[in-house]
Formats: sequence, structure tokens, C-alpha cells
Amino acid sequence: MKYALYLGCTVQTEQFGYEASIRVTMPRLGVELADMQGASCCGFPPFSSVNELAWLYSSARNMAIAEGMILPLFALCNGCHLSLAETKRMLASSPELKAKVNGKLSKEGLSYEGTVELVHIFELLHDVVGKDKIQSTVTHPLKGLRFASQPGCHAIRPSSVGRPDDAENPRKLDELVTWLGADSGDYPEKIDCCGSSLAVSSGRTVMDIAGEKLKAIKRQGFNGMVTTCPFCFKVYDNRQRAIAAAVADRELEVPVFYYTQLLGLAMGLPQSSLGLDLNQSPVDTVLARMGA
Amino acid sequence: MMAPPRTIASNAADPPDQRLRRAKGRMNAEACDQCGKCPSSCPVTAHVEGFNPRQIIAKVALGREVDLMKSQVIWTCTSCLKCKERCPEEISPYDAILALRRIAIDLELPHPVGFDESVKAVVETGLTQQPQLVRTRDKERMDRRSMGLPQAEKPKNMAAYTESLRELLSEGMA
Repeated sequence: MKYALYLGCTVQTEQFGYEASIRVTMPRLGVELADMQGASCCGFPPFSSVNELAWLYSSARNMAIAEGMILPLFALCNGCHLSLAETKRMLASSPELKAKVNGKLSKEGLSYEGTVELVHIFELLHDVVGKDKIQSTVTHPLKGLRFASQPGCHAIRPSSVGRPDDAENPRKLDELVTWLGADSGDYPEKIDCCGSSLAVSSGRTVMDIAGEKLKAIKRQGFNGMVTTCPFCFKVYDNRQRAIAAAVADRELEVPVFYYTQLLGLAMGLPQSSLGLDLNQSPVDTVLARMGA
Repeated sequence: MMAPPRTIASNAADPPDQRLRRAKGRMNAEACDQCGKCPSSCPVTAHVEGFNPRQIIAKVALGREVDLMKSQVIWTCTSCLKCKERCPEEISPYDAILALRRIAIDLELPHPVGFDESVKAVVETGLTQQPQLVRTRDKERMDRRSMGLPQAEKPKNMAAYTESLRELLSEGMA
């Protein structure tokens, strides 16, 4: 199994814990990753709000690179994955737009055909690698811990574009958690938004929206939150202390992990190789309970 | 909110009013039953007074798009997509908001300066921001190299990439 690894801007420029834990865990599951030389921004969010042609070109450009590698494109970020999927649909229904985009791509020796296969991490881990393979790599089961899953909006909506999990009752991330020996559990706020897109216009609203969910997770007795979305992680983990201050709740402490960090811990990999030193939320007590 | 210097040229061959008419044709606002599923799902409606996807669609149906484009409302969506997912009439307040944003920018109406900064960064470097120095919990500074990660990717022929984006930005498309 070999995939073109599409990192996107947020992972590549700041969410190093996600990238590091992906690069170290995937090969152990038999997933080979090839870097995409010359990759660029997918166009979401800047161009989708500014200019539709520039957005379609940006997404098509990266799919063209993967087509040139003759590999399925594995997009780490929910936002990128949806942007690429929407672009693929739009260009498939409009030969005119596709020709226009290809006219620009040809200047870089690229061509977008529309044959690329897009893969989301839920599909790759849950549907392709699967339970048996993942469980066979677990040497340090995460027993006695219960995590709230945070699939992230763009992994599940809009269903009209075809998403990797159900819009109203996503289960895959929960199952992936249980395959590591930990528990998951439904909670009413699971499919709610982190608010990160509002950072550009109303930072205070992000704090209020995110604070609500963190409080709910704490109230419901989870040991932490697990996600695969770099935007969600950026808010719930990186900004957690600021959120606690903004919503005046000093007790608001929720350890937040990328799923691939938990996967690596269950594989017995060292913390440093999983970028766990970069988590800003209070993960140390949970790590101590895992014996990590 | 402020009106930043123009980074995106307008396309005289396809003026904003023409694009607004086309975009409105796709919004299907007249089909709205005002059922209220979108505001009851919306994370912003719960927190920001005056933001209501149902009202946005009602204003479009009443021909008040310009009022919407002049207000902060269209810049206050989190793009969570619940409104689009749950609308029984297959109307998408989210897509309507994005279409109005694109035309508002072309009309040089006030919008968050962050969009112009991101656009400029992508056009010039291929990414929304350059790789950052991040901190560990012990306040140690880390970058891609010290994390053992390969160099960040960027277009090999940056001049051709930048030129393509600049040309597309001047053409628009509602």
C-alpha cells in the first residue's frame, strides 16, 4: 500500500506532532508514504472565500501532482480533503472549468485528468488497514482510559460530496480508539464545530464555542479528546489555556491527542518520536497512566 | 475589519452585478420554508447576536444581498456545514455566504484583513504561512529540522505558479 502524502499548510507549517506521528506509525501498518514534491496550498480557506477559480486551480494542482506519481492521494487535513473532493466533483461536471484549470497547470508541466483517488485517514485506518492489522501492532494497550472523539466538521459534512463517515452519527474514530484498548463513548457535542475558521474575524467567538465543548467533555468524565483534524487540534490543544482564561474556568483541563499519537503509544513508540512534547494541553497525567 | 489595499484585480468582462445574478440563481433562496433547522444547528447563531443563516437566506430572497455584503454577517460563518447538511430544501446558506464573500471582495467592501494576508502568502510562497518555530510544553523551540521532518514543499517553478494564480484572481467567477 503506497500513498502520496498530502500535508497541507497547517500540518506542514506548525502541527508537527501530527506529521511526526503519521510518519512513524504508518510504515508499521504496512502503509508506505511518498512525499509530494512541489505541493502547495489546497485553496481552502483563503481562496474559497475570495475567488473560486483560484481555489479550484489550487486543489486541482495538488491532485495533478498525485496523478503524476500514479498514487492515491492521502490528505491529512479534513479541510484539504473536502476541498480536493469538492474540486474533483466540480471539475468532473464542467469540462470548461477543467480545461481552464489545465491551461494554467500546463505552464508548470502539470495536467489534471480527474483519475486521482482521494483517501481520508478514517478510510485508510478503519476501512483499508482495518482492525486486525491495527490490533496486531498494539503492544501497550491503552487500558482504563476513555476518550471523546472529535472527527471534525469537514470529515463528516456535507454528505452530498461523499464524506468518510456519517454526518450525524460518525463512528469510525470511536472504533479506531477502541482498537487500541481504550474506550470511547458518545457525547451530544461530538459533531459540533471547534470554531477555528472564525479566528480570522472573531477570535473571542472561537473561545466561546470551543470552551463549551471542552467543558462538556470534562463534565462527562472523559480522560481526554482525540482528533485527526489539525484545525480542531490547534484550537482545543494549542489554545486550551487561552480558552480556559477566556471562559473563566481555571479547572478546564482536557488532555488532547492526535489519534496517531495514541496509536504510536499503543505500539510502544517513544513519546519524542510522536511529537508529544508539542501538545500544549495537560497530557502528562494521561501519559503517566499509560506508562509512557 | 478594514478595507485593505486591493490585492485582487476586478474583471471588467464579468462585472460583479452580473456574477451576483448568476450566484443568486444557484442559491435557491425562494424555496426556503423558514423551518429553522439551520439556525438551531448553527454554532455561531448560539453565540453571536445577529448571525442567523435563515435570515441570510430570507434577505437573499428579498433581494437584499448588497446589505448582507456590506455587513459583517457574511464574515462570521465557521464553515461547519451543518446548515447545508440539514436543510430539507437542499439550500446551502454556507455556499450562499461564500458566494457573497467573493463578490464583496471584488466590490472592495470591508472584510477581515486576514484573507488578504493568506492570499498574498499563498500566491508568493505556495503556503498560507511559512513553517513556524513551535514550543514544547517545556518551552523549547522546535522547527521541522529539529523534529526530523523533511523540508517543506513548495512549487518548483514558483514564477509560473504565482503568475497562474494572479491571472485567475483577476478573472473571478461567482
